[in-house]
Amino acid sequence: MQVKMKGKEPLLEISNLYASTENLTILKGVDITVKPGEIHAIMGRNGCGKSTLSKIIAGHPSYKINQGQIKFNGTNIESLEPEERAQSGIFLGFQYPIEIPGVSNLEFLRVATNARRKFLKKDELDTFEFEDLVKEKLELVKMDSAFLERSINQGFSGGEKKRNEILQMALLEPQIAILDETDSGLDIDALRIVASGIKKIANQETGTILITHYQRLLEEIKPNFVHVMANGQIIKTGGSELALELEKYGYEWTDEMNKNI
Amino acid sequence: MHILDYITKEKVNLLTRSSKIQDFCTSKLRAHPLPKKQNETWRLANKKKLSALLAYEFDIKSSDPDIPPYLSNKKAINIWIGNTNQLNLKEKNWEIKELKSQEIDDLIEEKLKSSNTEENWSNLLNLSLSSEKNILGIKISGDNLPPLQIFCSSKSNYFNSKTLILFIDKNTKANILQVNSGAKNSSLSLSTYIFLEEKSKVNHGVISSGNDKSNILNSLNIKQNANTDYNLGSIQFQYDFARFEIDVNQIEGNAKTKIKGMQVSNNDEQNGTFSKVEFNGPNGYLDQLNKSLANDKSHSIFDGSIIVPKTAQKTDASQLSRNLLLSNTAKIDTKPQLEIIADDVKCKHGATISELNKDELFYMRSRGLTFAEASKLQLKSYYQEIIDSIPVLEQRIEFLDHLLN
Repeated sequence: MQVKMKGKEPLLEISNLYASTENLTILKGVDITVKPGEIHAIMGRNGCGKSTLSKIIAGHPSYKINQGQIKFNGTNIESLEPEERAQSGIFLGFQYPIEIPGVSNLEFLRVATNARRKFLKKDELDTFEFEDLVKEKLELVKMDSAFLERSINQGFSGGEKKRNEILQMALLEPQIAILDETDSGLDIDALRIVASGIKKIANQETGTILITHYQRLLEEIKPNFVHVMANGQIIKTGGSELALELEKYGYEWTDEMNKNI
Repeated sequence: MHILDYITKEKVNLLTRSSKIQDFCTSKLRAHPLPKKQNETWRLANKKKLSALLAYEFDIKSSDPDIPPYLSNKKAINIWIGNTNQLNLKEKNWEIKELKSQEIDDLIEEKLKSSNTEENWSNLLNLSLSSEKNILGIKISGDNLPPLQIFCSSKSNYFNSKTLILFIDKNTKANILQVNSGAKNSSLSLSTYIFLEEKSKVNHGVISSGNDKSNILNSLNIKQNANTDYNLGSIQFQYDFARFEIDVNQIEGNAKTKIKGMQVSNNDEQNGTFSKVEFNGPNGYLDQLNKSLANDKSHSIFDGSIIVPKTAQKTDASQLSRNLLLSNTAKIDTKPQLEIIADDVKCKHGATISELNKDELFYMRSRGLTFAEASKLQLKSYYQEIIDSIPVLEQRIEFLDHLLN
């Protein structure tokens, strides 16, 4: 069911965003507005700027905003550190979740969850309270509690890493989640588990941006808007039918549009 | 009075016992009071800091600080060098017995006389100054021994010198933790000699923790007979000047040595580890990892050599130096080196110098952890491997927290 929450204030407003890294301009005027309850999909070829956009929203220090702004709940977040953005409710699901040897997944998740809870003025959880919470959330992504005892993402399969990302999303209860190619490297069953987890976490108060190459994730999670990105810009926006057209005609179909911009 | 004045002005004998071996050490030092800067292992030593280490007044007495909570171990036998009388313990399966002065001299004489002055300078200085009270020699025999914690400390505003000799009897298995603590504004010279008799095994830990402007010259000399296992886990931190010398000699080969060590330096401290592992027989084994953590304007040094002469065929040795730079102004010098003459050996060495992993930091920060929290978690994992290799230490989590805070 497609939902448009016209009456609500935007959660995320990206306007005329230009950004670069190492003097290379990657984003060249991106505009996207996400309101509560909306699911947006961003599709496009490799290298078009999708992942860069997600990292810039999350505050990656390697990227610089040259022009335009990103507003979250009406406030420009450019000066916020990555942790401040995360604590205030922005979540980035990584395309390639990082392995951190020696750092316990459980401890990391507890510190992260408490950082978010502190921001929300909720009581921080002790080890035992957290274990109860995390076990409940593990159900969402059908993960075994043995994963908690291991180092962050170390030795996890591709699918396990992605499920761990969604577990983190479930624990942090973000207002806006940007999921960068969460479907890549997943088999059909794992894709369904991950998609089901995302759907259960998303609600009428949250916004979701799915970055993907393929229609198959969007069959599981119906987006309200589909944006096609090319050469650092959004070149076309439509409903979920746009993803079907892309699947049918391929990105060459959008190349013509790009030429005309 | 400057420490070297005690030696060069012939006042040293007034303070210490005078054995033939001690006279030998003193005469060597009188001829060459300081290590030469040209010597490779002393080349990078901060001259000003070494001079400050030697500038404290010498004293036989030291203060024995309370055992910190992270070292509490109810099962352990606690021994203080310089403050333990008549250490003779005997149970059904094991025995700990003090060695006589002559036995001690017989054990260490060869080591002191065979090496050149530069390489042995720390040991020569140590024995020139250690009084009978501050030389502890123990023979350990048997199995199912309780863990031993051996404490050694320096006193504020003084230079203390202490010597430990451990003779590990045949077929003995021992777990020993040495804890060296430096008081504020003090210097400690410690030389440890461990002799492993056939089929013995020692799990050895060395925790050296300093304080504001404290210094340490810590020399560890290991002699392994055939079919012995020696495992070392060590960490040294918070010294203005720290020098840890490790000298392992597998005298007949057919022995195993594992070394995991770490040095941590902050402010403008200089902290170095200098190791030499010599295989003097076939089928020797070495697995060595040295980690360093350098912050602020500090200087960390690792100089490790592996010597494999012709007699040491089938040696299997590996040495890795891993270093983490925490600031742009810190400095790390690392030099793992192999000296191989035997032709049928498996030897490898390597060194890495890196900063905290930026991708890992961003990943953790993107989940709401502050830069400090994320760095702490990363450092925790860096420390963990070394902490896990320190025997006897029961309160590992508390010790790790102590290091991180």
